[in-house]
Amino acid sequence: MTMIHNRRRHYLVAASLVAPFMVILALVFLYPAIRMVALSFTNGPLIGAGDWVGLDNYRRLLSDNLFYTSLKNNGYFIVLTVLPTTLLALAIALMINRLSGRLQATMLALFFLPYILPVSVVTQIWSWMLDFQFGIVQPLLAFITGKPIPVFRNPHWVMPMVALVTIWWTNGFNVLLFIAGLRNIPVDLFEAASLDGASRRQKFCRITWPLLWPVTALVLTLQLILQLKIFDQVYLMSQGGPFNSSYVLLLMVYREAFQLNNGGYASAVALVLFVLIMVVSVLQFQLLRLGGGKR
Amino acid sequence: MIFLRKRIMAIALASMILPGTVFAQQHISWWDFFVGGDGVRMKALTSQFNDEHADINIDATSLEWGVPFYTKVRTSVAIGQGPDIMSWHLSRLPLGLEEGVLSPITDHDLEVAGLSRSDFFPHAIEAASGPDGQLYAVPFDIHALVLYYNKRYLQGTDYLDASGRLTGIDSLEDFESAMAAAARNGSRVPLSYGTSEDAPVFRIFFTLLKQMGGILISPDGEILPGDSTAKATRAIEIMTHWFDEGWQPEQTSYEASVALFTSGEAAFMLNGVWEVPTVKDLAASGKLGFDWGVVQVPMLLDQPASWADSHAFAIPANARNPMSPQKREAVMTAIGWMERHSLEWAGAGHIPAYKPVAESSEFQQMEPNATYSALVDTAMYDPRSPIAGVASPVYDAAVNILAPAINGYLSPEQAIAQFKSELQSRQR
Repeated sequence: MTMIHNRRRHYLVAASLVAPFMVILALVFLYPAIRMVALSFTNGPLIGAGDWVGLDNYRRLLSDNLFYTSLKNNGYFIVLTVLPTTLLALAIALMINRLSGRLQATMLALFFLPYILPVSVVTQIWSWMLDFQFGIVQPLLAFITGKPIPVFRNPHWVMPMVALVTIWWTNGFNVLLFIAGLRNIPVDLFEAASLDGASRRQKFCRITWPLLWPVTALVLTLQLILQLKIFDQVYLMSQGGPFNSSYVLLLMVYREAFQLNNGGYASAVALVLFVLIMVVSVLQFQLLRLGGGKR
Repeated sequence: MIFLRKRIMAIALASMILPGTVFAQQHISWWDFFVGGDGVRMKALTSQFNDEHADINIDATSLEWGVPFYTKVRTSVAIGQGPDIMSWHLSRLPLGLEEGVLSPITDHDLEVAGLSRSDFFPHAIEAASGPDGQLYAVPFDIHALVLYYNKRYLQGTDYLDASGRLTGIDSLEDFESAMAAAARNGSRVPLSYGTSEDAPVFRIFFTLLKQMGGILISPDGEILPGDSTAKATRAIEIMTHWFDEGWQPEQTSYEASVALFTSGEAAFMLNGVWEVPTVKDLAASGKLGFDWGVVQVPMLLDQPASWADSHAFAIPANARNPMSPQKREAVMTAIGWMERHSLEWAGAGHIPAYKPVAESSEFQQMEPNATYSALVDTAMYDPRSPIAGVASPVYDAAVNILAPAINGYLSPEQAIAQFKSELQSRQR
């Protein structure tokens, strides 16, 4: 009897502790999210109600070329960022991990610095460095390719350059995660392996890599979610052009909602993106867990 | 206790006696998008207005231009939190009408302001009216694309007359040979404009299209109907030709295009009248280093035309929070005062939309505005469509398709085909 009583009290305490968060979540996330889902079945404008149109918005989406272009560009951007940034962060973390004391802290701070900059500052810096008329990187590009390149106005260069800027900007956080992961690996394992005569390569493949796998899986998943939500950099540096070669799904949501006043259609695109992110990230995380389990 | 009651009585009495003098002051909340030279002049005007009107106080806020501005006013008006008065581009009027954001300006309103429709240039009134003929904004200025020139590179050519004014440009061939002559005279960039940006490319494209009599969007929503497609292609061909000849700079931002002119590298610049103060101030402080002039865009093709737009004042339709008649009178008083003081605004290069000022001897003597003010007769506003106007899908398509095309990434035919299908898909 007392046990049941206690358990009930525990529930009450737990519920009262969780309630403030749940109320706020329901108010500022769940309610608007449900309204957005409802809006996606109407022809509503940005503000105010619209008429129920059923699945019309989704049908329209399936015949909208811009949607497929955006989807393809989102995919291309994922390829350009997720794996490269993870590998790069791992490499940097491994190198920083071999340093010690103040030098290590300094290097970590240097790599982390871009991450604390707001996106507007980051894009301003890079737009300035890559400016076609007087950017300081242009002589380097001219040296390599033979002529200066208007990178954000060239359909072939724009996505890789946006990816480069994004990696430069966000890599510091991944480095930090990897450093934390590396520090979690007990030193005894390396000492034991050294006693057994393991080479550095063997130590990495047999100890570091498997024990770091959960962190790697986390970084990959976080990156996937983050990079699917690409918007700011494209909006600020290339406006989706040239020839829609950097048009992405969130830019489409933005333009449909705020410029064209199609609240319903924009919600439909946003919902599709939401489902896409959910499915892809859950799928990826499960796959990575399986992959990790085999080792 | 008695003391307190006495005090309350005293305050109540005082507030009954004083309202005429203190409490009747109308606070007008004012939102605009004026920054730079425009912003300085508008601030001077509002503070002068406040000084002269003890009973009205304008509380002005300048917001970021473009999509953010129009999104903010539309959303705030929808929930009844909009300003009492706001600036508006007449080219974006269709968007405001579509959403019912703008409160109609009645004849009574105009009367309060001391204005009438016939006080304004017909093109501006037309652009400020809805399809029903009802006025939805009060035009303040007309700003247009104009041609700036650097006299140094035209010296010794046929294109400067005895008094040093641009002359003899009556066709595209004339203009192109003037550019060639300027290039021979050492101009690195004979014609400067923001070749990588939406608005500069669009304004020139639209001017050329209109000089051929083309139609961008027909009233029933068709993009480049009939032979307008061929005319639009021709416009892109012309701009691409300027690129191929090396007359216009490749992939240049707006700021860089202005710098190319003010630093004396460009012989011509196609840009809006709003850069007049920039060049004027540099010349006045002796930093420009060359003689310059500015004229309305010459007739290069079949008929004269210049891209133009107007800044206007509009009253938001705050349906949830209606304005009192007294406040509305104060707002209209402010608008009327601004119109009568628009000579100062013309200092930013604009042409007043209010004819009594535009035709006054003060404005007729105001240079260089008076030189190009005749363009109002052939001013061409953006098509009446929610997808056209500043910060619209048409501008996005200009940076997305037209700008890369004139920099050699796509043939004019393909560019116009893409431009058409892109804009068609934006209409619903």
